[in-house]
Amino acid sequence: MITVQLNGSEVQGRPGMTILELAQENGIDIPTLCYRSELNPIGACRICSVEVEGARTLVASCHTPIAPGMAIHTHSPKVLQARKSIVELLLASHPDACLVCDKANLCELRKLAADLGVGLPRFRIRKRYYPLEDVSPYIVRDLTKCILCQRCVRACREIKKQDVFAIAYRGFDSKVVVDQDQPLDKEVCRDCDVCISFCPVGALTKREEALVPKKGIPLIMKG
Amino acid sequence: MPEKRIVLKNCGVIDPRDINTYLGQDGFKALAKARTELTPEQVIAEIKGSGLRGRGGAGFPAGLKWELARNAPGTEKYVICNADEGEVGTFKDRYILGRDPFSLIEAMAIAGYAIGSQTGYIYLRAEYYYLLNLLQNAIAQAQEGGFLKGLVIEICEGAGFYVCGEETALMDSIEGRRGEVRFRPPFPPTQGLWGKPTIINNVETLINIPQIILNGAEWFNHIGTERSKGTKVFSISGDVERPGVYELVMGSPLRELVEELALARDVKLVQVGGAAGRVLPYQEIDTPLAFETVLGAGAVIVFNESRDVIDIVFRTMEFFAEECCGKCTPCRLGTEAMIEILAKFVQGSGSKEDLTVLEDTARMMQLTSLCGLGQTAPNAVVDTLQYFPDLYQARISKSEVP
Repeated sequence: MITVQLNGSEVQGRPGMTILELAQENGIDIPTLCYRSELNPIGACRICSVEVEGARTLVASCHTPIAPGMAIHTHSPKVLQARKSIVELLLASHPDACLVCDKANLCELRKLAADLGVGLPRFRIRKRYYPLEDVSPYIVRDLTKCILCQRCVRACREIKKQDVFAIAYRGFDSKVVVDQDQPLDKEVCRDCDVCISFCPVGALTKREEALVPKKGIPLIMKG
Repeated sequence: MPEKRIVLKNCGVIDPRDINTYLGQDGFKALAKARTELTPEQVIAEIKGSGLRGRGGAGFPAGLKWELARNAPGTEKYVICNADEGEVGTFKDRYILGRDPFSLIEAMAIAGYAIGSQTGYIYLRAEYYYLLNLLQNAIAQAQEGGFLKGLVIEICEGAGFYVCGEETALMDSIEGRRGEVRFRPPFPPTQGLWGKPTIINNVETLINIPQIILNGAEWFNHIGTERSKGTKVFSISGDVERPGVYELVMGSPLRELVEELALARDVKLVQVGGAAGRVLPYQEIDTPLAFETVLGAGAVIVFNESRDVIDIVFRTMEFFAEECCGKCTPCRLGTEAMIEILAKFVQGSGSKEDLTVLEDTARMMQLTSLCGLGQTAPNAVVDTLQYFPDLYQARISKSEVP
């Protein structure tokens, strides 16, 4: 067993465990976005960054294994400030279409923003507008809303072993693509819906649920 | 401190197309010494004792890297020479590769012997394609001469992407995938190329190796400062009269390089370490160049009084936004946010809040980015905010209510 300091108290962890797993076992909630326990971590979103004493930078808890004697702070002011700043960036480049978005208050980005107390971004940056892809009989892809967590890419690759998606272009123009940036159609994708359940925002929706008028009480988001 | 030639010893002296001229300059003697007189562990001990640190910018102790790879389990290990010199304003590796390819091959053979590797790769920057024939010829000649027994050296051409100079993205690129940074740990010496132990060294780091083996760790240890041993090759460009490649002992003041060797006048600021490096105003020109202070990969870009500081910072940030791989959020969106805000300052329509956002974003990028690119991208912004705050203040829109 490995003994580490977690937010000031001594806890025990197994070798090979990540900081995030240790925190979860000890009832400490570290926000995550690109991480899912079913998938291999990639450390892309950096929301789960925590402070480790002596480290030059913050470390992402989803892929950093614990080491003996580590002193970890999961919610220090430095960490919270960095997380807020990341969410602010994500919101700034995300379309402000929450009112008509199918994800509404199930959206993980909105939940994250509410939890961290991030409101309207203080600045404007470019948004990535793509045409809505509704060629496939199974999935409607609205890549304008994509936050590039790569969860769909990994779910398809690791769970269904299909490798339909990949990342193309670079930097700000990075995009989840199919083949040579073709619209997703039924030729490459079968009806499994795995990627849809992994999308944290409204970028992937089921065909039958998308683009239909919503009935019932409107969903209200607190925070 | 004077110029001292260790790395550039053979440059201009030998014919890079002919191995015999290299043999005449004690060529491959270090390899013979390592193979006959020293065990691999002794070679590593020698490198460790010399205090040689990586010349690619990060300054990781080379001997330690080799030792980790040597001790990592497995029989399949790789030696990679990072010749993807992409940093803005560096051209030292190009200079060395074109004039002394044999030292590099000898060093890779020594590294292969030390860590127990059978395969070496030279990851050559795409823009350096014209050096390909020269290097292939040098490898072929070394092979014919029987110097490479047990080691196959392959040249892998890059596809023209700045991030592929980062070691983990470089390995992805060699594996044939999109050059995206991997998280660490695991570090390459334990789990690198194709998941096997791998050492990745910069061209300049490797060129030091034969000299250290020949002359001993003691000799190398006496050159330089306490924590930076040996010499450093600098490529200096910008507003100078004599741009070019200079080799100086570690710890030499920046003034010597900029004013005495390159003959710069009216210096306003110096960017040490390229786009990812630190920005120093003229009053800091006596800073010694060493890992303790500023160094980076050895790119020194000089700007004189006629240049606009905010314009320099804006263009640096444009470069990073262009070269970002797009994997992690802080770098992908942070660089984009910064160019939007800096563009306002270039036009003179910034606001006080923009300055706060700039500072917040810069700090967040330095702390949370996945790789060195994102962590160092805001350096120019942070440094100029520290040294030239008045210039930013002057660009705050006049119409803004105070």
